[in-house]
Amino acid sequence: MVSSEIRDLVERALDAARAAGASYADARYLQEEWEAVDVQDERLQGIDRGASAGIGIRVIVDGYWGFAGTAQLSPAELERAAGIAVEVARSSSATKAPSVRLADEPVTQTTWATDVAEDPFAVAIDEKIKTLLDASARMRQVPGLSIAEASMDFWRRASFLATSEGTRIDQTITQSGAGIRAMAVGEREVQMRSYPNSFRGHYACVGYEHVRAMDLVGNAPRIAEEAVALLKAPECPSDETTLILDAPQLALQIHESIGHPIELDRVLGMEAAYAGTSFLAPPDRGNLRYGSDLINITADATIPGGLGSFGYDDEGVAAQRSNIIVNGIFHQFLSSRETAPEVGEPRSNGTMRASGWDVIPLIRMTNINLEPGDSSLEEMISGTDDGVFMSTNQSWSIDDKRVNFQFGCEIAWEIRKGKRRRMLRNPNYAGRTVDFWSSCDAIGGPGEWGVWGTPNCGKGQPGQTARVAHGTSPARFRGVRVGVRG
Amino acid sequence: MSAVGQERLTEAAEAAFGASADGTLIVAIHSWGGLTRFASSRIHQNTWREDVEFRVMTIVDGNKLGVAATHSLDPAAVRRAADDAIAIARVAPSDPDFPGLAAAATIAADDGFDPDTAEATPAARAAAVATMLGEFPSGMEGAGYVETVADEVLIASSNGLRAFASTTRSGCSVLAIASDSSGYVERLERRFGQIDPGSLARTAVDKATRSANPQPVDAGTWTVILEPAATGTFLQFLGYLGFGAKSFIEERSFLTGKIGSKLMGDLVTITDDPTAPDALGLPFDFEGTPSQRVSLIDAGVASGVVWDRATAKKAGKESTGHGLPPPNPYGPLPLNMRMAPGSSTIDDMIASTERGLLVTRFHYSNVVNEKETVLTGMTRDGTFLIEDGKLGGGVRNLRYTQNAVEALANVQMVGDETEISTEMFFGGSRAPAVKIADFKFSSTTTH
Repeated sequence: MVSSEIRDLVERALDAARAAGASYADARYLQEEWEAVDVQDERLQGIDRGASAGIGIRVIVDGYWGFAGTAQLSPAELERAAGIAVEVARSSSATKAPSVRLADEPVTQTTWATDVAEDPFAVAIDEKIKTLLDASARMRQVPGLSIAEASMDFWRRASFLATSEGTRIDQTITQSGAGIRAMAVGEREVQMRSYPNSFRGHYACVGYEHVRAMDLVGNAPRIAEEAVALLKAPECPSDETTLILDAPQLALQIHESIGHPIELDRVLGMEAAYAGTSFLAPPDRGNLRYGSDLINITADATIPGGLGSFGYDDEGVAAQRSNIIVNGIFHQFLSSRETAPEVGEPRSNGTMRASGWDVIPLIRMTNINLEPGDSSLEEMISGTDDGVFMSTNQSWSIDDKRVNFQFGCEIAWEIRKGKRRRMLRNPNYAGRTVDFWSSCDAIGGPGEWGVWGTPNCGKGQPGQTARVAHGTSPARFRGVRVGVRG
Repeated sequence: MSAVGQERLTEAAEAAFGASADGTLIVAIHSWGGLTRFASSRIHQNTWREDVEFRVMTIVDGNKLGVAATHSLDPAAVRRAADDAIAIARVAPSDPDFPGLAAAATIAADDGFDPDTAEATPAARAAAVATMLGEFPSGMEGAGYVETVADEVLIASSNGLRAFASTTRSGCSVLAIASDSSGYVERLERRFGQIDPGSLARTAVDKATRSANPQPVDAGTWTVILEPAATGTFLQFLGYLGFGAKSFIEERSFLTGKIGSKLMGDLVTITDDPTAPDALGLPFDFEGTPSQRVSLIDAGVASGVVWDRATAKKAGKESTGHGLPPPNPYGPLPLNMRMAPGSSTIDDMIASTERGLLVTRFHYSNVVNEKETVLTGMTRDGTFLIEDGKLGGGVRNLRYTQNAVEALANVQMVGDETEISTEMFFGGSRAPAVKIADFKFSSTTTH
C-alpha cells in the first residue's frame, strides 16, 4: 500500500485541480519498480533496476480534457502541475466540441493486489543470473549455435487513484516474465528459436514461481538444436493450404486482428492519425459475422495471473469479463467512461490503462481470449491431409483498419496425410481478418488452453507500452496463403 | 518554463560519486513539454509532462557492472540508486569486454535549444491545431498532433567527464480524412517556429481530395516513388538491422563481410550525423563520446557502421559516439541517419514514369528476414497511380514484401529535398523522395 504521505499529496493535487476550476478531476500516483536481467552467451549483458514515481492529474474544465504529470513530488510542484492541467484543458476549447460526458460509475474505496507466491524482487539477483547463464551454456553446447540469449523482467506497480467523485483505489500489480532465445547465423539468414515465447519470453501477473515453472535450462538444448536445424531445413513452400497455429502465435493473431479492432477509441477515430482506426463500426454489434461459429472471444481482466489482469482500471472501473464475439458474431467493443456513452452503452467495461504516471489512460486490451473448443492439436493434425503447422511469432504487420495482415513464425512443420513431417524454415502466412477467422474449423480444448502475455503493445501519442494477454489453445484454419515471398 | 539547469543536474549526479565504486557513470535526462492531439476535428487528448531520470552505472572490482535508476532530482535518491547499482555489481560476473569509462572532458552545448519551443504554451499548440483545421473543407475531418519538447541531458562520470546539452524539438502531423480516402503529412524540427501548420494541412487535404474514390490495383512488381517518410522507413529499419556494430560483429548484419562492396545504387549515399544543424541529435552519445558523422553507404558502396566503446574495443576500432544508455544489450545504433539529396523533384520523377505508384507513407512495417533485410508493411494515407508521366487518382492500399537493400539498389532518381521522419519504434532519419524500379507488393487490402 502507498504511504499516507503519498495519499496526502494525491489529495492535495486533486484539491488544487478543483480549486483551479476542474468540474471533474482524478489524480493517480504510480510507482513502478523494474528489474531486467540480460545474458548473452557466457556474458551478463546487464542488470537494470530502478523505480519511477510520479503523479498524473487529469481534469475536465468547461467540458474539455486536460492532463499534467510530474515526477517532482512536492506539494508546490503538484499544485503547479494541477494548474497546468487546468490551463491545458482550457486551451482545448480552441476547437469547439461537445462537452465530455462520463458514464456513471459507482464510487469505490478499496485495495487490490496481485496474488504472488514468491516476490520476484526478493529473489537474490545472483540466483537469477545463474539460471540465465546455465540456460545460455546449455544452448551454447549445441554445435553450430551462434548466439544464446536469456532474460528476465519483473515489474511492480503500486498505484493510488483518487477521483473528485470520491473513488480511492490502492492497487499493487506484480508482473514477471522470462525467456531464452537461440540464434544460428548462416550465410544469408539468421534462424532463431525462442522458449517459452518470442520477444523475451512468457509473462504473467504472478511472482517468481512463474519463472521457476518454465524450466529454461531443461528446454535450452531443444531450442538450440531447432535453431541450428532450421538453417538446413527447406523453405516453407508458397501455397494456399490448411494452417494450424500453436497457442503463442495464435495469441498474437488475436491481438492484432481482434484485440485492436475492437478498441472503441480506434473505432471512433481517436487514434486515426497514428495507430489507425478499425474496420468495425458501432452498427456491427450483434450483426457482423467476424468468424466461424466456433469463434467465441471474451475480454476478461479477472483471470488470475493473466498479464492483462487487474482489480480496477485507471478510471476506477472494476475489472470485468465481457463477451466480445459469440458463436462468430461480433457483440461488444472495449470501452471507457467517455466512449461508452457515445455508442449508447450505459457503463465502461473497464479497459482504461496508462503505461505510466506521465500519460493519460487509454483503452487497452485486457486478456482477450479465444475460448477453448473441443479438439486437440493431435486431432487437428491427424485430420489434416495437407497443411502446415506454425509455431512462435517472429514478425507481424497489419493495415491501419486491421484487415490485411501478414505474420512470420520461427518454425513450421509440414503436415502430410495426418502426420507432422519435415521441419520448414521461414514460414509465414497472410490473409484478411474476417476471411481468416471464418476459415477456423477446429480449436483445441481446455487442456491445451493457456494465457500468453504480450508485454509490448504500443499505442498513443506520447507512445505508451501496455502489458496485455491472450488466452487461447491451438486452432486450425483452412485455405490460408502461406509462404509469401518478396 | 521548467529547465532545472546543468548545475542542479550535476549536483544531483555528483551525489552518486560518493559511493564506494571503482568508477561511476551517470546519464541524466530532464524532459518537459506538451502534446496536443486532435481527432474528428477537435482536440481530444491534451497533455503536459515533466520527467527526470538518473541512470547510474557503477563499476566494482575493475569490470563488474551494475545499473540502477531513479526518477527523482533529490541527490539522496541518486545516491541510493548508486548504492543499489553497487550491490548489483558486487554479485555480477566480471565483464571482460568492459571498455572502461570515456576520458575526462567537458562539453556544453545549447545550440540545439530554442527557448520559444521550450516555453510554448498549451494555447500556442491549440492555436496551431485550430490553424490546421481552418484549412479543412466541410465533409473532411482532421486528426493529428502538435508537440513541443525540451530536454536537458547530462553525462557525468567519476573520472571527470561532464557533457551537457539542452535541446528542443517539435512535431506536428495532420491526417485529412474524407469519405473513402485520406492524406497525411508530418514534420519534425528543432524549433516550433519552423513548422507551418497551415501549409501542412493544405498538403494533407490536397492528398485526401486527389485520392478520393480509390481504385483497386493488382499486387506485383511496380515502379514506385516513395515520398520522404516512406524512404525514411527503409533507412531506419536498415539502421536497426545492420548499421550498428553489434549485429555487424555477430555476422547478423547485411553489411558483415561487405564493406567496400557495391550494394546499392550510385545515387544512394547514407550517413549518420547527429551533429548536423538540421538533425535532432546530441553532440555526444550516452557514454560521453563526442558524436561523429559516419559514412554508412557511399555512392552505393558499403562504407561503415557505427560503434560504441564496447564494440570498438572488441574489434580494435574507435567509438564513433553512438553508444546508448546502460545497460545496453542492443549495441550502438545510428539514430540520426540521413540520405543525401539528389537533383530531382517529385514532379520530375512522375514525369519520367510510364506506369507506377506514388507512396505517401508506410504503416506497421516489420522484419521478415533480418540478414536479407526483407521487410513487409502497408501503404496508407495517399497512394496514387502514375500513368504516362502523369499523377492519377488514388488506389487502394497494398502490402509490400521487399528486400530493403535490393530496393535501394534499384533507385533511379533521388529527390532534391529531405524531411525528418520517425518509425514507430526507433530514432529519426532525414531522407529524400526516391524513385525505385521493381518494387514488390505481395497483396492488397479493402481501402
